[in-house]
Amino acid sequence: MPIVTPGKRPAKRFEKSRILGGKMGRGHKSLNAELNVVPMVDMMTMLVIFLLQQFSSTGEVLYMQKDIKLPDAQHGQMIEVAPVVAISAQQVVVTGVKVADIPDLDRDSGYLNIPALEERLRDEKKRWEFIHKVDPDSKWDGVVNIQADKAVPFRIVKRVMYSCGVAGYFNVNFAALDAGSTAAAGVAEKPAG
Amino acid sequence: MGGGAMPEQGGGGGKRKKKALDAVINVVPAIDLLSCCISFLLFTAVWTQISRLQVQQLGTGAPEPQITEQQKTLMVTLAMGERGFNLSTSSGTTLDIPILGRGSAGELRFDLKLLGEKLKQLKGDYPDTSSITVSAEDTVSYGDLVQVIDACVGSGLPAVSVTGV
Repeated sequence: MPIVTPGKRPAKRFEKSRILGGKMGRGHKSLNAELNVVPMVDMMTMLVIFLLQQFSSTGEVLYMQKDIKLPDAQHGQMIEVAPVVAISAQQVVVTGVKVADIPDLDRDSGYLNIPALEERLRDEKKRWEFIHKVDPDSKWDGVVNIQADKAVPFRIVKRVMYSCGVAGYFNVNFAALDAGSTAAAGVAEKPAG
Repeated sequence: MGGGAMPEQGGGGGKRKKKALDAVINVVPAIDLLSCCISFLLFTAVWTQISRLQVQQLGTGAPEPQITEQQKTLMVTLAMGERGFNLSTSSGTTLDIPILGRGSAGELRFDLKLLGEKLKQLKGDYPDTSSITVSAEDTVSYGDLVQVIDACVGSGLPAVSVTGV
C-alpha cells in the first residue's frame, strides 16, 4: 500500500474526478518537504575517495601494538602475508601466542636458540605444508616477518633470527613504518602555530 | 533534489506555458551505493602503512644466496657497533665512520648521512655490486639496524645479509 499524506482525501472512486477529486485538497499546504541531498552526496563521494586511497588488498598483516614502536624506513617494500614474530621490551610473541620473556632470554644468554619459538614456527610450517600438500607448484619460501620495538637490542633479534632459521624460516622481513605515511602523520599531529 | 536552478522562461511575452527543462534525478540509489562503499571501505581500511626490509641471515642452515661471478668480485662488509661504522671491502678498502655521540637517553647516534654517501660512492665505483653484509654488535638497537639496512637498500645494495659479530 502506498504511503499517502495524512488528512482528508477523496474516496477512491472520486480520485480521478475533476469535480469531486480536487475538492478536499483545496487550501491545504503540501506536507512534503524536499531535502537537498546534494551536499551529502558530495561528502560521501569524498569519503569514498579517501577510503579507497587507504585500501590495501593484502589487508592488515601486522597490527600496531602499544608496546612496539617501529622504526621508519624509506625504501621498504610492501609487506606480505607470513607468520609474525613480535618482539617488545617484555616478551616475544608469535602470531598472538607468547613464547618467551625478554628478561628470561637475557638471563640465559649462553644459548642462541629459543626452543618455544622454534616449536611454534615448526607448527606453522607443518600447517603450511598440510595446506599445500595437494598443490605441487607451491614452493616453500620460508618468509617470516619480524616486528620489533626500535629499542630492542640486536642480541635478542639475533636469537629470534637464529631460531627462525633453524625452524626453516630463513627469509626474514624486518617490519618498519613506511616513511611516507609517517611524514603525513607527523604533519597531522603537528599543532597549529 | 538534483540541484540546478530553474532556467529562464523566455522573455515573458509568450502566451503558451513552456514545459520545464529541469529533470529530477533520483539520487537515492547513488546514496545507497555510496553508503555500502563507505561501510565496506571503513572495515577494510589499513591506517598504518608498514613496509618490510628483506634480509638474509648467515649461518643458520639457510640456502646460500646465489651469487653471480660479477658479484663475487667485491664483497662489502659493514660492521656497526658502539664506535660507529666500519665499512670494508674485499678489495682492501676500509673506512671508519665514528658515531656522532649519544642521545639524551644514552642511545647511539650513527652518522647515517655519511654512510649513505659512502655507500653511494661505492656503488658508483662498483656498479655490479648489489650485496652487502651487515655485522652488528649485540648492543645495537633494532631501530638503528633497520635504518642502516634502509640506507644500504637506498644506496643500491638490496641484497642485505645480517649477522652478529
